[in-house]
Amino acid sequence: MWNGEKSISLSKLCILLFMCLLVVTVAFAPWLTRWFLDFSRAELKGTEPFFLATIYAGFVPAAYLLYSLLRLLRRIEAEQVFTTENVERLRLISWSCFAGAGISFVSVFYYFPWVFVAVAAAFMGLIVRVVKNMVAQAVALQNEVDYTV
Amino acid sequence: MPIIVNLDVMMAKRKMSSGELAEKVGISQANLSILKTGKAKAMRFSTMEAICKALDCQPGDILEYREQD
Repeated sequence: MWNGEKSISLSKLCILLFMCLLVVTVAFAPWLTRWFLDFSRAELKGTEPFFLATIYAGFVPAAYLLYSLLRLLRRIEAEQVFTTENVERLRLISWSCFAGAGISFVSVFYYFPWVFVAVAAAFMGLIVRVVKNMVAQAVALQNEVDYTV
Repeated sequence: MPIIVNLDVMMAKRKMSSGELAEKVGISQANLSILKTGKAKAMRFSTMEAICKALDCQPGDILEYREQD
């Protein structure tokens, strides 16, 4: 029977898979970039160092985002949902998304399709920010209930 | 918070201990402590009613508004 516990386990598994994917991408970045440049029909000669710079710079917010998600899930698992720590964690996740969007946006100068990644990351950051605002209000309500005698 | 809870004063006047009041009101000692220390954000009418009954007083004897700078 499907339940909340299994759902959290599935989310954790997905995060771990993304972490593996991130590590593999960074570890094989030079090879992947060369393969992509050979495969692409666009005129991208000489852009290999830029692609590598984007991947390595993007690794930092992406890794931090995945780590934060894992910490968030662990707290939810421990039934600590509406806490100020979770609000702070969501805020950091949101900023990680915006950092990724910024890196992608800068990368548009040598490869235009990065703009789609930038827009998607910024949109994701925005959604997380709204969720963060909502959880912050829920924390305030929870505090009020806890201190109502 | 400009609302001051003068529960201690009333309890001293009635010579009632925290444990006794908590038992009469039907709340835990921890919640009574929240009230006494002024950490409470709100008080239910039912709690107020029980406190007034236990201490034989009016709500105004327990709560006081003091303007803050």
